[in-house]
Amino acid sequence: MKEVLRFENVSMHYHSKQGETVALKEVNFSVSDGEFVAIIGPSGCGKTTLLSLAAGLLSPTKGKVVTDNVSFGYMLQKDELFPWRTIEKNIFLPLEIKRSNTPEHRERAIALAEKYGLKQFLKNYPSSLSGGMRQRAALIRTLSVDPDVLLLDEPFSALDYQTRLSVCDDVYKIIRSEKKTALLITHDISEAISLADKIFVLSKRPASIIASHEIHFPETEPLKRRENKEFSRWFEVLWKELNA
Amino acid sequence: MKNPSIHSKEHLAYLRGVKRKNWLIGIARFAILFLLLMIWDLSAKHEWINPFITSSPSRIVETIKDLYKSGTLFHHVNTTLKETLRGFFIAVVLGYAVALALWWSEAARRISEPYLVVLNALPKIALGPLIIIWFGTGQKAIVFMTVLIGLIVAILNMLNGFMATDENKILLLKSMGANKLQILTKLVVPSSLPNFISMLKINVGMAWIGSIMGEYIVSKAGIGYLIVYGGQVFKLDLVMSAVVILCILAAAMYAVVALLEKLVIKNK
Repeated sequence: MKEVLRFENVSMHYHSKQGETVALKEVNFSVSDGEFVAIIGPSGCGKTTLLSLAAGLLSPTKGKVVTDNVSFGYMLQKDELFPWRTIEKNIFLPLEIKRSNTPEHRERAIALAEKYGLKQFLKNYPSSLSGGMRQRAALIRTLSVDPDVLLLDEPFSALDYQTRLSVCDDVYKIIRSEKKTALLITHDISEAISLADKIFVLSKRPASIIASHEIHFPETEPLKRRENKEFSRWFEVLWKELNA
Repeated sequence: MKNPSIHSKEHLAYLRGVKRKNWLIGIARFAILFLLLMIWDLSAKHEWINPFITSSPSRIVETIKDLYKSGTLFHHVNTTLKETLRGFFIAVVLGYAVALALWWSEAARRISEPYLVVLNALPKIALGPLIIIWFGTGQKAIVFMTVLIGLIVAILNMLNGFMATDENKILLLKSMGANKLQILTKLVVPSSLPNFISMLKINVGMAWIGSIMGEYIVSKAGIGYLIVYGGQVFKLDLVMSAVVILCILAAAMYAVVALLEKLVIKNK
């Protein structure tokens, strides 16, 4: 499979008056086309830095971030829908930013929204939608410019447990049926196991990758995976690595 | 809203209670005004208080009527209104523009900070003599005073609003590849709309302070002029009348801004 993103000995240092912080130290990994990759690590270990580097919002202090001419879509913890825009206008936002707000692109985005159950909400403002629906709208917004790789920054952590499970299922199905590559970062072990094909474990700061696993389940859907016996075995393995 | 006929008896009673309370508060507001005016008027009529010093509601009404008949009422009102509105708009537009520039450049923000703080604390009336010398004794001086009083407040309020823009939403736009101008137009300006409205409200008050203060220092006409003139020749009826007119105008201008708020902010 074609590699779409590769970190080569990437280190990231932050400077402040108090001194220098090493957030990432010689991180190496790659993501191939069509994969769902999860990176787990303890809170505050520089996971978000990692995504910002992948998206090109930051440049590494040392090393290289190699992308194979792919476009990225970013999804954050909260939906960050703009409250003064309707759902439809929120979904068009990336089109406006990329100056590709053409009728065809708008139609494509609308079709996507309708396919995934947002049709009746298009003219509504975000405040009238439930948390789960809002996160779904945020995903459709991310997909509206047809990015090759989705960068997911703990996209479910702001939701309550019940909603989180169903939105997780939801997002997984949408990403799979749109055949997107995804890079998820999370501190939630079970979320990573239920979604990913491949898991990288980050150490505490300065973070580097201490383990990598390929995950195989007969089931693909996150909720079904959670019922599999293998699930708790994986959980134990990753838990030990995270707390080593 | 749901159809009222499907509300339960208890809910209807609750709604009636809310309505009743609103009514009572409205009535109380008017009753207080009415009572005060009546006591004031009666005390003055029976000379329990000296109407020469305190004036009275009926004398105020007479004075305003006289001003109207002599044709000078609207001359004074127009003069002050023009000064106030001019000063208001210049302060708001200029303040918004400066705040934008300061949002744009962190260096400019840091350099200008001590100046803004000092200018904000400075009582602008201290500049009165300078303003007369620079701008003469015409309306220009008064408008300048009005702008001076409103400008710094407008800048600081708007800058606060711009700087409070949600960092995560900025990150989101950056991840879409937005440049600074797009972040400004798509996010910073619309998200600071409530700050803009509250800035307008504050500046309505500032503009009236500015124009009246300006007229105190130098003027040939206007409501501030009537107040100063009335005080000098001891016509306190005139002073009181001018204050009443001022109250009405300020309330009207505030109402316009409040209406604008209702029109603009729908989806919060």
